Amino acid sequence: MKKTVSIALAGNPNAGKTSLFNALTGSHHKVGNYPGVTVEKLEGFADHGDLRFRIVDLPGIYSLTAYSLDEVVARDFLLEEKPDIVVDVLDSTNLERNLYLCLQFQELGIPVVGALNMTDEAKAKGITINEGLLSESLGIPFVKTVGTNGKGIKQLLDSCAAILGSGALNGERGAKPAKAPEKALWTLKAPHYGEEIESRLLPLTELLGSDQAFSARYPARWIAIKLLENDENAMKKLREHTKGQEILSKAQADRTWITSHFGKDSEIVITEQRYGYIRGAIREALTRSPGGKASLTEYIDRITMNHFLGLPLFFLIIWGIFKLTFALGEYPAALLESFFGSLATLAQIIIPEGFFRSLIVDGIIGGVGGVFSFVPLIVILFLCISILEDTGYMSRAAFLTDKALHAFGLHGQSFMPLMLGFGCTVPAIMATRTLKSPRDRIATILAVPFMSCGAKLPVYVLLAGTFFPKTADNVVMLMYLGGLILSMLSTIVLKKTVLRGPSTAFVMELPPYRLPTWKGVFWHVWGKTFSYIKKAGTVILVASIAIWAITTFPQPRDESAKAQTLAAGFARSMAEASQEERDLAVEQALEEYRLEYSAAGRIGRIIEPVIQPLGFNWKLGVALVPSFSAKELVVSTLGILYGSGGEEGEESESLRQALQRDPGLNPLTALTFMVFILIMPPCLASLAAIRSEAGGRWLIFQVVYSMALAWIGAFIVRLIALPFLGT
Amino acid sequence: MRLSDTRPGAIFTVDRVLIGGEIGKRLAEMGFTQGATGHFIRGAFLRGPLQIRIRGYDLLIRRCEAKLIEVSI
Repeated sequence: MKKTVSIALAGNPNAGKTSLFNALTGSHHKVGNYPGVTVEKLEGFADHGDLRFRIVDLPGIYSLTAYSLDEVVARDFLLEEKPDIVVDVLDSTNLERNLYLCLQFQELGIPVVGALNMTDEAKAKGITINEGLLSESLGIPFVKTVGTNGKGIKQLLDSCAAILGSGALNGERGAKPAKAPEKALWTLKAPHYGEEIESRLLPLTELLGSDQAFSARYPARWIAIKLLENDENAMKKLREHTKGQEILSKAQADRTWITSHFGKDSEIVITEQRYGYIRGAIREALTRSPGGKASLTEYIDRITMNHFLGLPLFFLIIWGIFKLTFALGEYPAALLESFFGSLATLAQIIIPEGFFRSLIVDGIIGGVGGVFSFVPLIVILFLCISILEDTGYMSRAAFLTDKALHAFGLHGQSFMPLMLGFGCTVPAIMATRTLKSPRDRIATILAVPFMSCGAKLPVYVLLAGTFFPKTADNVVMLMYLGGLILSMLSTIVLKKTVLRGPSTAFVMELPPYRLPTWKGVFWHVWGKTFSYIKKAGTVILVASIAIWAITTFPQPRDESAKAQTLAAGFARSMAEASQEERDLAVEQALEEYRLEYSAAGRIGRIIEPVIQPLGFNWKLGVALVPSFSAKELVVSTLGILYGSGGEEGEESESLRQALQRDPGLNPLTALTFMVFILIMPPCLASLAAIRSEAGGRWLIFQVVYSMALAWIGAFIVRLIALPFLGT
Repeated sequence: MRLSDTRPGAIFTVDRVLIGGEIGKRLAEMGFTQGATGHFIRGAFLRGPLQIRIRGYDLLIRRCEAKLIEVSI
């Protein structure tokens, strides 16, 4: 049995943490969530000698304040779970700011190993780091790594093992003032804040150490520093301390003293002292060979961030992605479609006629197959998005769009979630956690569902392709654009009403352009696609069966009588036609009769008065019912509602032709219906994400708000489009 | 003068961040500390965010935050 050692992998965003995590753990990932929040938690294992490292990937952060949800998550994990070692991934090209976080881990009292990542890039930039000198002056072992090719991984694990061997785990960890309160409270080398501040820190640390239970949980010096930094989260923790009140007032006095002594707020002073300490350490360890040449990034930015070229290029990229998704995705989508088509035919041959065959062919293959055929589109879309993300272009997009987004009350950092919203609402809502202000976060969360997600795409493709065959991709693009405009308008209104208040700081890093690694892109796309397929295999499978059931039962008892009446009617009205054609017409009329009689038909009839002003017939009403659980179900429901006619004789008719034959459907209804689907509440999974990110109250608000807006929006669009599209 | 008053291409030294609290703290943490030198690379269209190079990396900052940083050229 190997000894298991827990490692927290931490670091700044853009420091190459993900690729290092992949290099460390291979492909043995486990995806979970941090308790209470939807922040994704990646876990993996690395075996090294007789040790087994359990590596937890922390969210990328800049500091250990409580500035964003990511920081709170990372901080709580380190404080509550107390990992044995923190491996801090540092961007070697940007060491100074990256060390700022590294020192805070050291202060937490957990042994730190620094991975000087992206040393290849640093070398290319003329930056040389003497890791021996750095280790010596900071008291942290540093190892040079290149996450993208796995260089230095073994040495990194060696360092971790060495830390364990050195007894750091027992000796230095947390300095355990509980056991030896009279000894020096801090045995690890830690940042020195200068005599004035240290003279304030020491008594505060001692006072904190007086409650043994408290200081066993939280490192005393770290809490003392946080108190001088005016950290609310740390102050809250003092409630558990027996001398909490005394400490709070002492810290308050200390802060006042520091502010008057240095002439600036104490949290700024602490930050400056920390940077001063780092400056001292890297002065000798880091050398920069002078190079006046502009980097490749600089040349690219001159175009991508240009006043006149930047935005057009940005829109060109977005447009290109959509074109690529449709043009390229069409072929594999058609292939999958024909595969499920032949599967249905096969099932018809081997399964005897009856309910079971109907369940397999119409319910399961029809429902799930319809959803599966959109997988290629989703793969291509996520491929493009993750490449944009990994190259660093997304930050340029934030630069270009912040001014406009800010005018609507959003944030440049809202851009990413909004963009992701075009893929899937669930990760998009999760991505809002990088936003600091709760108001900005909620504004973004409420705006995201109006971005047409990948599941709405099949609905658009089906309806636009059927009723606007010549301009289908323009109509789909219009839906996307309409959603975007609506989300902005909605945000303005919400920001002026329920979300009123001042906006927060916009400070974000602009990383250099980097070539995405195929591994990183692959995992990204695979993860997203897999969750879509999983949804298709579970929720959608169950829903497909349920929809099949409500569209099949109860069955009319007077079917044969009805068939005779119909046959007689058609014999007169279709006298010219062949017997075969008449049979087909009877079969179709009968099919519709059965549907009207079924539970689904009844539901459709019940909600018909509500949706009639929008021009929707009861079949569209039926299709709306399952759309609450997942938007792509609209397609499979319409497939069941329209697709099963004309089974005898020829091949089964395609859905598009069946839709076109319905006199209740026309371009105007199709457009109105698409608008309704665009605005209505998102799928169940997204609603669950909204609930965990924003709370139950905002969930209810979102559902009621978007439901009302969907109806009004569809109605207005119908009025506007009426003169152009007729009825 | 304030950072928001400088022109693209300016090289400046940070004198102080004028406010504390979360915003001031974050600005300091991202590298705007006394004595740090920065380079105003470019501003976005229509007085959008500024691209600033400081401590060897680039960041984006809005004009309203740039107003909170006192610099000298």
